[in-house]
Amino acid sequence: MTDTTTLVRLEGIYKDYALGKVSTPALQDVNLAIERGEFTTLTGPSGSGKTSLLNLIGCIDKPTNGTIRIDGRDVTSEPLHKLSGLRARTLGFIFQTFNLLPVLDAFENVEYPLLFSGLSKRQRQLTVSAWLDRVGLTSHAHHRPDQLSGGQRQRVAIARAMVTQPLLILADEPTASLDSRTADGILDLLADLNATTSATFLFATHDPRVMERAHRRVEIRDGRIELDRLVVRENRRYSHANAF
Amino acid sequence: MPMLFRLALRNIFRNRRRSLITFLVLVFGATALILFGGYKEISFEGIRESTIRDSVGHLQIYRHGFLDSESQRPLQYGLENVEKIRALIESDPRVEMTSAQISLMGLVSNGEKSEAFMATAVEPRKDKNMASQVIKQGTYLSDKEPDGVILGEVLAKSMNVKPGDSLTLMTTSVGQSLNAMDVRILGIFTTGVKEYDERAIKIPLVTAQRLMHTNKVERLLVLLRRTEDTAAVKRDLSAKLAAGHWNIEMRDWEQLATFYHQVVALYNAIFGFLGWVVFAIVILSVGNTVMMSILERTREIGTMLAVGTCRSRVWIMFVMEGMLVGAIGGALGLAFGSGLTTLINHVNIQMPPPPGYTEGYLLRIALSPSLLMNAFEVSLITATLAAIIPSIRGSRLNIVRALAHN
Repeated sequence: MTDTTTLVRLEGIYKDYALGKVSTPALQDVNLAIERGEFTTLTGPSGSGKTSLLNLIGCIDKPTNGTIRIDGRDVTSEPLHKLSGLRARTLGFIFQTFNLLPVLDAFENVEYPLLFSGLSKRQRQLTVSAWLDRVGLTSHAHHRPDQLSGGQRQRVAIARAMVTQPLLILADEPTASLDSRTADGILDLLADLNATTSATFLFATHDPRVMERAHRRVEIRDGRIELDRLVVRENRRYSHANAF
Repeated sequence: MPMLFRLALRNIFRNRRRSLITFLVLVFGATALILFGGYKEISFEGIRESTIRDSVGHLQIYRHGFLDSESQRPLQYGLENVEKIRALIESDPRVEMTSAQISLMGLVSNGEKSEAFMATAVEPRKDKNMASQVIKQGTYLSDKEPDGVILGEVLAKSMNVKPGDSLTLMTTSVGQSLNAMDVRILGIFTTGVKEYDERAIKIPLVTAQRLMHTNKVERLLVLLRRTEDTAAVKRDLSAKLAAGHWNIEMRDWEQLATFYHQVVALYNAIFGFLGWVVFAIVILSVGNTVMMSILERTREIGTMLAVGTCRSRVWIMFVMEGMLVGAIGGALGLAFGSGLTTLINHVNIQMPPPPGYTEGYLLRIALSPSLLMNAFEVSLITATLAAIIPSIRGSRLNIVRALAHN
């Protein structure tokens, strides 16, 4: 089924990891639909399958079974290396440990995903400058990651994730490496970006502050979705049509 | 691509100590290639030119049949009318001169002791320009003293003679009768080759012709102004001689310089082996550097792949790193190798005599642009090749595992 409001659709997803000769299930019969514009959190204890699910939706891992459609495209039928274009254009990643390229400065780190976009150098420079301004780092554009604080690095990572104007932003514990004040600043920025752009946000987190800002909370336990709850917020209207 | 280039370049200088070691290996490799290559080039050129100028000439002219037929008597296939042939050859402006020679063997006696000799009969004035021997005592042959001869140093010692002493030379004439002649020693020479100096005598051509009862010569050596013209002159001369119906045949220095070809083959084998050793060291060193770099940057590779970099770009980046390491190391190697070569040539290092020689020589190393380019290319290509396999591994990393790598 293809519809215009659903960005991500997971059907009957299983993911097993081989540990020696033993196969350990990480996800079991996961069915999930994420609507465009949603700010969804994936929660659950460590080892529950949050990161596995995020990896599958991020097209950096393949499910053992099941189908994943992103923006209508069946990504499970294609090998991962053929999905690099989709990852570059449709998805944005924010990592717990920022994962900036240490030899590039803030500007270059943000510019990096645009290299595969076909934009001219001038267009890239304008776009990157605008995003650095948006995350409040114009004055740090030519600082390398080791010259930036944790919060500043995460802002660069956010700008890098957003710069291609992806449909879906995936974040794995984006505040876990930050102190609470810095984390609040980052969450305010992310909430603002969600409110002002058309991007859909899916965050795996333990952080209650992240959950507070989410429109929808999906809780996973032992590889299964235990709870899928909508949180109606005043400042954001979106349509939610979970098919399951 | 410029960003990948920037990434590759900056990554090289990330681990400075490791990069320094890799650069040192490349500098060592390039320097070794420059020094060995320069030594080889100058040795080849030196041996080639000394073989041509001192011994075989650029071309040798014989009467037809001399090279392939077995002579029944001395100078059976000797050249007659040599002056006419000579005039024809010397009319070519590329020809510097011609020199007639006869080889003869016989016995030399001082009245008390006899020794076998191998003599070369030469035109003194012309041979003086091209002779390889060094006069140790006395003087060289002279057109004015047709009975004057010069002796190899070892033979003179064996005969216990000195300049001014008389000797008797005995050999077979063209009529196959024995003939003897008294000669006076003008000088003692050495060629540096002991075995040759044990038997060597040089006598004026006219004296040898008198001793052998002939006006023939065995061969005519042709010396050119430039060795590079050999093939062209040979071709033109062959055409001229064929047109004039001259009954003669010709060999060029490449066909005559057996020793030169042996030295070339030996040096090429030795330096080829050294080249492979250098190649292996560079391959292992750069390969190890790239492998370590990939290991340390596993999470970065995972990030690059996750944000949409295709695997081929990651591969290109690492190969580019290898290439840049090769280019920088090669350039440093050129600078160091050139400096060292200049220094070696400046300080005049005396080398011991090679096997079979009695004289040492000054170490000289050629420094030509082609050698430098060759050393640079080897550094660049080897380092790039060394990076290919580790880079394939790096570009094929599992993204999830790479992101989880500590």
